[in-house]
Amino acid sequence: MVTEMTSLERVLAMLNRKPVDRVPVITGSTMVKEYIEKSGGVWPDYHSNAEMMVDVAGLMHTDAGIDNVVMPFGMFIESLALGLEVKMGKIDIQPSVRSFFKKPEEVNYDNFLEDKFVKNTINSIKLAKEKYPDAAVTAFLVAPVTLAGDLMGAENLSVLSIKCLQKEKQMEKMKEWVAVALEINKIYAEACAEAGADLLYYSDASASPNLVMPDFYYEIGVSAEKEIGDFCHKLGCLWQLHICGDTTPIIEGMASTGADCLSVEQAVKMEEVTKIAGDVPVVGNVTPLLMVEGTEEQIITETRMALDGGAKASMLGCGTPPHSTSDRLKTWVKAAADWSVENL
Amino acid sequence: MDNLPEEVQELMEALDEAAEDEDEDLVEELAQKLLDTGVDMKPVALEKLALLVMDGEEEMSVGWTRAALKFGLDPFEILLKGLAEGMGLIGKKYENGEAFVPQLLIASTAMYSGMEIIAPFMKQDENSCTKPATVVIGTVEGDVHDIGKSLVKTLLSANGFNCVDLGNDVPSTQFIEAAKENRATAVSMSTLMTTTMAEMPKVVKMLENEGLRDKVMVMVGGAPITTQYAAEIGADVSPHDAASAATWLKGAIFDFPSETERWG
Repeated sequence: MVTEMTSLERVLAMLNRKPVDRVPVITGSTMVKEYIEKSGGVWPDYHSNAEMMVDVAGLMHTDAGIDNVVMPFGMFIESLALGLEVKMGKIDIQPSVRSFFKKPEEVNYDNFLEDKFVKNTINSIKLAKEKYPDAAVTAFLVAPVTLAGDLMGAENLSVLSIKCLQKEKQMEKMKEWVAVALEINKIYAEACAEAGADLLYYSDASASPNLVMPDFYYEIGVSAEKEIGDFCHKLGCLWQLHICGDTTPIIEGMASTGADCLSVEQAVKMEEVTKIAGDVPVVGNVTPLLMVEGTEEQIITETRMALDGGAKASMLGCGTPPHSTSDRLKTWVKAAADWSVENL
Repeated sequence: MDNLPEEVQELMEALDEAAEDEDEDLVEELAQKLLDTGVDMKPVALEKLALLVMDGEEEMSVGWTRAALKFGLDPFEILLKGLAEGMGLIGKKYENGEAFVPQLLIASTAMYSGMEIIAPFMKQDENSCTKPATVVIGTVEGDVHDIGKSLVKTLLSANGFNCVDLGNDVPSTQFIEAAKENRATAVSMSTLMTTTMAEMPKVVKMLENEGLRDKVMVMVGGAPITTQYAAEIGADVSPHDAASAATWLKGAIFDFPSETERWG
């Protein structure tokens, strides 16, 4: 029996493949409307105001009982800082990237760290470390393939992912985009690590077999993710890799990146992917929509099903939906704790 | 095609290369030489086009579409039995889990590139053609994801539907206006995000309030959309993917009242 741990100790133990007092419950994106309103957050200020952002994210930990505190709220910071057009969404809609570059040479990241949204991420990490020292402070970052896709446009990424496998010239082009993305990733990762982030959560949503060829993922995606992952480890930071959609065809590649933890969607069978991933912890798989409209029974069933399938932490298959309710989030955390009492 | 005389096969390979190099004059010349062999090139060209579109060979699809016209094929036949047939083949593979989205995208580009070549010839025949059913399609307000919606549009177009594409981030009122304006047969809404799903019932409700719900079929789709959700919000269907959306609508349209019956 492991003695009671803090949230931070619990998450770090899971990532380091050590025993835990109960399975951690962690999240990716966390822009929950109920918590924004409860904490007095104002749209869109909470995207650029560290205090507001940490107050919103902090309620996921202090009220719902989630073991990590995650910022920023969405996958747009990198693009916005690079000068791409971003629609800021609404209180219940995350910002989204609306434009892209024509050539990799157009991407200028000299003053990346000077951008107010990037600065806000860094300040939020520092503030969250002060306010919630017992929680795993997590930076939510865009991984290299997805960032390359944001830079060149998602449809272009998809098309190039097959063309680059057929023609050397297209492969060169693809490598140029990914190289630029990796440079930006490294600048941002270093700043987040210096600010004290315990965990860097990389979402490589566009590396999904739903958007790019699995062969492309193995040829380009794995090495790019490994490069940023190794860089994180050199900085002394643990990192988690999330890819959307049915990742069964690429889970072996994901496991080979050196990620400390893999996060998967509900489209995969947890039992199947945990077997393929071997000793790399896999998390996720719980349907996010359950936090909006799921019954208590549905939430408990899905939470237990993922853990029975070998998940090392309970996590939703994607970000926590903005319309999630605090009572459902608490039901989810309790379901994971109850499972732990019976099974650990 | 393997049974064709060696001379024809060699000319076809040369045509492949000329098309790949986008050498229009050489394509014309080789197409003429193929005609001169006396072999009926019409069925060969259609089969070839279908395979090229399926493989997403954009330049070659363009070249072989030019050749198909040279062989005397009717542009509508080129579209339906060549280009769209190829899109249908890759759509079927995707449906069976044997192909991925990038393959659909490059096939779609190849099909549209071929369509651009035959478009000027098709306009002349516009009056002789039966008017296709119209589908108003778009990604709901708040969501900028285009790929899934565009694939549904491509496969619907390949199956003979006229698609009015409203793009992404479409306000609910725009779906209603477009349905009325185009005397639509179906309204197709897409979203990738749980955050914007609530826009779909809003559109269904507006169709009801305007007395239009019985005039159109409502299709909803996207990663978070389930059959159960579609039923709950009063939509007719939530197809599994782009290919099954086209398959479903092709079947459903037979039991649906005609445009005149619905719209007067």
